[in-house]
Amino acid sequence: MAQLDNIIHQPVRLQIMSSLVALDSGEQVDFVHLRKILKLTDGNLGAHLARLEEAGYIKTDKTFIARKPRTFVNVTGKGRDAFQDHTAALKQIIESPQK
Amino acid sequence: MDISREQAKDSLEQIDAISARTRRAIASSCDSALLIIWGLIWIAAFIGTHFFLAWVWFIWLGLCAIGAAATFLVVRRQFRQANPIRMPADKRIGQRIFWFWALLFVYAFVWLSILKPHHGIQVNAFLCTAIMFAYVVIGIWSETRYMLWLGLAVTGTTLIGFYLIPPSYYCLWMAPTAGGALLGTGLYIRLRWR
Repeated sequence: MAQLDNIIHQPVRLQIMSSLVALDSGEQVDFVHLRKILKLTDGNLGAHLARLEEAGYIKTDKTFIARKPRTFVNVTGKGRDAFQDHTAALKQIIESPQK
Repeated sequence: MDISREQAKDSLEQIDAISARTRRAIASSCDSALLIIWGLIWIAAFIGTHFFLAWVWFIWLGLCAIGAAATFLVVRRQFRQANPIRMPADKRIGQRIFWFWALLFVYAFVWLSILKPHHGIQVNAFLCTAIMFAYVVIGIWSETRYMLWLGLAVTGTTLIGFYLIPPSYYCLWMAPTAGGALLGTGLYIRLRWR
């Protein structure tokens, strides 16, 4: 039976993971763009990304494009698996008979 | 961790909403714009060739020049806007794809000069399949599935057109099946999550 994931279940991290998992495997999203999609502040997004990276669920890649620093974020295989388990657990809760 | 059924439902709804919002960002990437541009150009060129055969070279060269200029503008705009979504090896892959296309056209014209085809349809089918060969290779290379399948599908329709469709209807067959496939794929990418 699938289990809820404590790290992913936090509302902001759930949004971050939902956004990253929506990308194709290997695709990365720009930090600024992710912040706009999720309507978060730099600090808030950065803190939650750090927590997810610490868990091995995402990977950040800092680079320069046209001489400007850019940070790209993508979900790892481990993160994708954990997210799938988490959504499966949510579905099981919905489908389970009411007590 | 225990959560209620309502909380689980809210979480899943939130996941769907965020996924849709993220996917809309992909829809604005330049791939779809280029496919739409070249789909329209191929449709116009094939229909033009069918009705104004005497002008075939002007039609194709003129429309391809417009397509090349539009491609340049779209790619430049994309680069300047700093696409929010990228593949890890974007820059490297982008340069390789550019040189691959350039070399493909050089080799295609070398092969045409060696083979000396007798009929315009042979030239057209050769160039269409050569371009679709590039789609297939890029699709495999960059793991872009729609490029792979689009390349294989249009190769198939080109071969059907070449071998099975009467020559006088070849262009009318190719306009929707080849140009239409490019246009349809571009529109699908752009609209699928809207």
